[in-house]
Order: sequence, then structure tokens, then C-alpha cells
Amino acid sequence: MTVLLELDAVSKSYGATEVLRPTSLEVKDGEFLTILGPSGSGKTTILRLVGGFARPTAGRIRFDGADVTNVPTHKRPFNTVFQDYALFPHMNVARNVGYGLMLRRRPKREIENRVAETLEVVGLSGMLDRYPSQLSGGQRQRVALARALVCDPRLILLDEPLAALDAGLRRQMQLFLKSLQRQVRTTFLFVTHDQEEATTMSDRIVVMNVGHIEQIGTPRDIYYAPASRFVAEFFGDNNILGGTISDGRLQCALGAFPAPPALVEGSAALAAIRPEKVRLGTAAEPADIVFTAAVIDVVFAGAITQVLLRPNASPEAIITAKLTSGAAIGSLAPDASVEVRIAREDAVILPAASP
Amino acid sequence: MSPRLARIGLFVAAASAPVVFVLVPIAAFLIMSFWRVETSQLVPDMTVANYAAFFASDTYPRVFIETLQLCAIVAVIGVALGYPIAYLIWRQHGRLRYVLLLLFAIPLFMSYIVKIYTMRSILGLQGFLNQGLVTLGILDQPSLLFIYNRLAILLTMAVIFLPFAILPIYLSLERIPRSLVHASADLGGAPLASFRYVILPLSAPGTIVGALFVFVLALGDFITPQMVGGPSGFTIGRVIWSQFGLAFNWPFGAAMASLLLLVAFVVISLAALIARRQRV
Amino acid sequence: MATRGERIFDIFLWLLAGLVFVVLYAPVAISALFSIVEVRRGDILWETATLEWYARLWQNQSIMDAIRLTLVVGATSVVLSAMLAVALALYVTREDALGRRFIELAVYLPFLLPPIVTGLALLMFFSQVGVSRGAVAVIIGHGAFVLAVIYRLVVTRLQSLPASLVEASSDLGATRWQTFRHVLWPQIAPAVVTGSILALALSFDETLITSFLAGNEMTLPIRLWAMMRVGFTPEINALVTVVLLVSIALTIVIGLRLRAGGRE
Repeated sequence: MTVLLELDAVSKSYGATEVLRPTSLEVKDGEFLTILGPSGSGKTTILRLVGGFARPTAGRIRFDGADVTNVPTHKRPFNTVFQDYALFPHMNVARNVGYGLMLRRRPKREIENRVAETLEVVGLSGMLDRYPSQLSGGQRQRVALARALVCDPRLILLDEPLAALDAGLRRQMQLFLKSLQRQVRTTFLFVTHDQEEATTMSDRIVVMNVGHIEQIGTPRDIYYAPASRFVAEFFGDNNILGGTISDGRLQCALGAFPAPPALVEGSAALAAIRPEKVRLGTAAEPADIVFTAAVIDVVFAGAITQVLLRPNASPEAIITAKLTSGAAIGSLAPDASVEVRIAREDAVILPAASP
Repeated sequence: MSPRLARIGLFVAAASAPVVFVLVPIAAFLIMSFWRVETSQLVPDMTVANYAAFFASDTYPRVFIETLQLCAIVAVIGVALGYPIAYLIWRQHGRLRYVLLLLFAIPLFMSYIVKIYTMRSILGLQGFLNQGLVTLGILDQPSLLFIYNRLAILLTMAVIFLPFAILPIYLSLERIPRSLVHASADLGGAPLASFRYVILPLSAPGTIVGALFVFVLALGDFITPQMVGGPSGFTIGRVIWSQFGLAFNWPFGAAMASLLLLVAFVVISLAALIARRQRV
Repeated sequence: MATRGERIFDIFLWLLAGLVFVVLYAPVAISALFSIVEVRRGDILWETATLEWYARLWQNQSIMDAIRLTLVVGATSVVLSAMLAVALALYVTREDALGRRFIELAVYLPFLLPPIVTGLALLMFFSQVGVSRGAVAVIIGHGAFVLAVIYRLVVTRLQSLPASLVEASSDLGATRWQTFRHVLWPQIAPAVVTGSILALALSFDETLITSFLAGNEMTLPIRLWAMMRVGFTPEINALVTVVLLVSIALTIVIGLRLRAGGRE
């Protein structure tokens, strides 16, 4: 796949505050790329810089090989879906969606046809005469999408477009957006703070924190091999155990895990273990770490039951296990003593300090 | 006391002051416009003679129409100058925007009389405008073109009421979410196109309200015409005022003021209607 | 990036704003100028420059009387209006209020109508009920005029408060008065103060309504109006300069308060 959009050491400061450290990023043609991060991570700043709503302090932005760093917004060949949708309140749906075509002075007939087609793609036929104030949140969302799609841009920027929708509608829109993106074969650059949303929709995810990129990869890469403590904690749940590197292993209160050679002897490190990788009382494999722990609480959540555990060897560390619900787990009582097992290769060993 | 009676009692208590000091006086003056004056005494009556006299007169209806024209021009000047300035303020960011807004709001509270006085010293025969024009060689000698005529009223009112136009226009611009402007640019709208299709239509209601506001203010002003209008610069406000002074014909003044009130009421209702529609 | 056309347009806007600024602030400049130097037949006589008029300002008895009356009228009408505005705002925001729109109409009318209508309506009404022209009539006139401003700010603040606030207070056993004193008043007090300063500024400058009601008791604007027919003396210009500076300061205070209030 060719590179469609390229950020080359782009940074942004407001006065003395650097909201985006020099950042480089390549968006490939046709992919669904999500920038994920908490508020203040710089994810929206990237979108604003790409959209042309702000100028980078340093660095270049290239689109399809051409430098667009100083190209004004209205001359950039891609469109945005805004967080608040930014529908024009004085125009009906047809005029909102047709706005971009109208500005390009397309014939009236063509605009009508394109608007109708696009509204059909987003599932909003027959609403041409409605005004934004007469639409539901989900419908406005679709109008905003249609308006961005109608000019056939090769890249669409989406700024947390689902944030204002309620949970059920949001899940439905996630699936819709993904299938829409496949159907129109347009590159989507999506910004969100919702890890689950990012996982469901994206081909690749860029995880950001305080103005820089922590990790770029497929949802699987990031889930199974987080590159930093921040990613391990932000992207899904993780049990974090602190320790020190010695003899090429991470030594912690519960045992020793093999560490990657990049970690320096004697340095502080930590093990990140997914809760679903924590097992209780089953047959031990040779590579397992085994320890006894007291049950603190058992939380039933449908298909999954969460068990909170306090290891006897390290009472201050609380381990969470996510287990498939069943009779045996349901009968676990608080304060019961259980045997806990973790496969050594299921732990991801990371340096304690961020790089 | 029953709850219903208590509710009504509370309403009467709350409404009493506004009714006594606002609605009753307005009603009283409307009623008095049907009274007449006999040997310097007000006589309660129910006659439309005052209105008849107004419409039968050669001068008064003409003065009334001319006043409406004058006020309309003042309103148009207010918007023509006020819109670009409000737009300029709106385009700024942070502190500069706020300081500019304050700078153009402060004149609202500067003494009205002093403003008229200042305009007179600018427009007068020996005024700064004439001096400037003579110095620049545009005029050979100071001219009476700018003072004691309709033009003088027009210019003075335009200056006095301009800040009243800037504020509502600015507020209507400020209500436009920035994301709409961004969206327009994002969809390919050059600044001029964005202005034409997004900013202008969305700020139009506030602008019209500002113009109507200035119109009503100018309509009720009688001191400006009196001080800079000279013998030819008569407005309906000035005519009404004179009925309460030398002419001493209150009912006739009240009748003319009722007509003025009617116009003002129509204009204010129009403004309210536009303002309400904008909120939707 | 701004194109050339946009930059030229921007320069045009700034020039226009600058020009309008000069005209709008001319009253301050001209009064200050005339208070310091003599102007004869349009020529500024710089050699006459003196600050002496500022020192003599206090000796003009009629002006000092006018200032005193203006302050009395302002303070009285604003205090009365503020109390009435709070009472009306409290009433109108009650759930069981009757005739909300009716009351609001009556409150806003004197502010919306041309002052000439308000002024002569009050004059004719007072003449029938036996209130003669003078301070009392002016106070009522100003009160009716500035009521709308204070009311507007207070009612906006009250409406922005969650209804649960009052419910929580009465749920905890507070009487209506205690709820007002400890819950509502602290919330609306800033709005009352801002509204009162704004009202004071309006009352200070009110001329048109006052001209109908003042009679022989002249407020400052009316006195200035009378003096304007003969032309201002340097000491009046000195006074006007001071008055303008005070009203500018007052406006800045209002601006700062409104801005701080908007940020909350």
C-alpha cells in the first residue's frame, strides 16, 4: 500500500506549551487508522493540523507526495467529520450535503444525484428537506458523514464523531463506519479516546500520550505486545507487577519472568499480565508461576466473572483474574484461599520508566 | 386561604409595581391622546380630533415620514459601519478581541449630551471638520453644510447610535460555532464563500435586530434634532417635545406619540420575532 | 495562510475601525482639550493652556447641585429597582407563577420603548395623580427604566441554577426565607451587583425621560443640556472630562464583571 498522508517531524506549541512533540506518522492509502489517547494526548491536535485548522510549529505534512503544510483548509483535498457535526443550521439536509459540490460549481442536476446517492449510502434517503434541528443525534451523524463523503475525498478525518451518541447507537455506528469505509474505499483517519471503539474499527492504531506517540500497530499487536506501561494500562486491563532485572529475568514478589535482552541488568521493570491469562487451580504446566492468594471479591458480569485476589507473598499487589463464568467460580467465597497460575510467556516485560 | 387564591394574591403583589409604574402610565397617555385642551386646561373627552388634526395638517405627516426616512438611514449607516467592525472584533482571539469589544462598548455609556455637544463642535461653522477641509483645500471657506440641517442630525445620530448596532451584530456573530466556519472551509469554501453562505446568513437576524434597535433609538430622540437640526431639521420627536413646552398641547403631543409608539411597537415586535427565529 | 486580497481587506477593516474609534472617542478628546486651552474662532490658543479649571470645578454651585441630585437619583432608583428586580425574578422563576409573560412585558417595556414615550407617559400619569415634576418623579422614571437591566441579569442567573438546589434546601428543612438567604442569594448577588452598576451608569446618563420629569430640579445631563445652548465654559469641559473618565471606568468595571461572570 502506498503512503497517502505523511507527517514529518510535525510539532505544535502554544507559547511555551508543547502540545505535540515532533511526531512522524504515515497513513497508508485505503486504511482505517485510529489515533487513540486520553484528553491532552495531542490526538486532536494532529487532526487539526492535518485539516488545516492550525499550523504546525515545525515539520511538514505531505499528502500524496505534495507538501500541504501551508495550504489553506479550503484547498486541502480531504474532508472532516466534526465532533459536534458542525451541520449548517440554516440549510436543510440536501443543501448541507451538497454544500461542497455547490462550492465546486457543479451542475444542479449532478449535485442532486450525488446528494441522493450519498444519502442512500449512509442510510438517510428521503430526509432531504429536514433541517438539522429536526434530526436525531444519529441522523445528524449520518448527514455529517454524507457531507464529507459527497466530494469523494481520498481521505476523511473523523474527530470523535461517536462521542455524543448513546452506547447502543455508538456500537451500531462503529460497525456501520467500518463497513462504510470498506464500501467507499476511502482512507479514514479517526480520532477517539475509546479503546474499544479503536479496536473494533481500525486496521492500525496510533496510541498517544502527552503529546507523543507511544505505539503504532494493529489492534492485536497493541493488545498482546504493549510497548510501554502507559499502553499496557490504557489499552485494555492489565495486572502490573513491579520488579528488577537480574540474570536476564524480571524478579518480582511472585516469581521470575524471562525478560527481553534489551533490558539492562539491575534496572527497574514490570510485568504486564492480562486478567484473562490468570488461571485458578487448574493443572500446572511446567512454565507456570504458581502462588497462593486470598479471594477478595467475586464480581459476576455475565459471560465473564472477575475475581480479585491478594497474593500471600505480596499482599499489597492485587491481581485481577477474568474467568469464564461457571459453577465452580460462582461458589468461590471471599477469603477463600486459591492456587493461582500464570504462564511465564503470557507476561509482557516492560521497562518501568517510559522511554 | 385556598391555594388558588394565594396564587392569585401573589401574582397581584408581584405585578402591582410594573402595572402601576409602567402599564397604567402608558394606558393613561393613550387615553389622553383623545382629550383636548381648552384655555390651557386639560379636558377629559373622547375625541379623535387630535389624530384628525395630525393627518389634516400639511406639515406633520410629512415630518413624520421624513423622520422615518431619517431613522432608516441612521440604521443603515449603523449596520454599514457596525457590521465590518463587529466582524473585525469577532475575527480576533483572546484578549485582543475582548479589549476591542470593550473599546467599542464604552462609548455606549459616555454622556449623551456631551456626545451631541462634541458633534456640534466638530460639525459647526468653526468646527474641526470645516477647519480640516479648508486646510486640505477641499473647501475655500468654512461651510454651513454640516450643521443646523438634516445632514447634521443624520451624522450626529449615526455617531451616537453606532455602538448600539455593533453590539447585537457582534453577539450574533459570536453565537456562530467556530466549527461551522471550519466545516465550510473544510468542504472547499474560500473565505469569501464561507462568509457569503455561512457567516452572513447566520448573523443576518442579529444584524437586522441591531438595525431595528438603532431605528427605534433614533425615532425617540428629540434632543439631537433640537441641538444640531436648526430651523429646517424638524423631526417628529422634536414636534412632540414642543407640545409639552411652549405649545402646551399635551393631548396633541400624546396623539403624535401614540403614532410613534405604534411604529416603535411594530418594529420591536419584528425584532423580537427575528430574534426568536434565530434561536431555533 | 491569508491571501493578498484578504490582507488588503483586513487593513481596510482596521482603518475603518480606527476611524470610527477616533470619532467615538472624540467627546473625551475634545472636552479634555477645551478644558485646558481656549479655542477662539476655531483656533486653538495653546498659550492659554492651564489646568486651573480642574481646581475651580467645585465652585460652580448649579453644577454641584446637579451632580448631587444625579447621585441621589441614581442611588435611590437603583436600590429600589434592584429590590423590585430580585422580588420579580424570584416570583417569575417560581413554578406556579401566573402571568410570567405579562410581568416580563411590563418590566421590559420602558427599556424597549422610545424614551420619549416613557417620559411623556409618566409625565401625564403623574400630572393626573398629583405627583409634581421633580426628584421623586425622576427617581420613579429612572427606576422603571433601569429595572429591566437588573431584572434580566438576575433572572438569567436564577434560571441557570438547577431546580434541585432549592429542593435540596427545603428537603434539608430550610424555610423559604432561609433558602433564599443561604442558597439563592449567594448565587444571585454577583448578578445583582453587576446589574446595579450597569443601572447606575444608565441612570447617570439618562436624559430623555428625565427631561419630561425633572422640572426645575435638574440632573447633570439636563443641566449640561441647558448650558449647551450658550456653549460650555472651560470649567464645564473640565467637569465633563472627569465625568466621561468616570463613566469609562465604570464601563470597564462592568465589562470585567460580565466577563468573569461568563467564565463561571
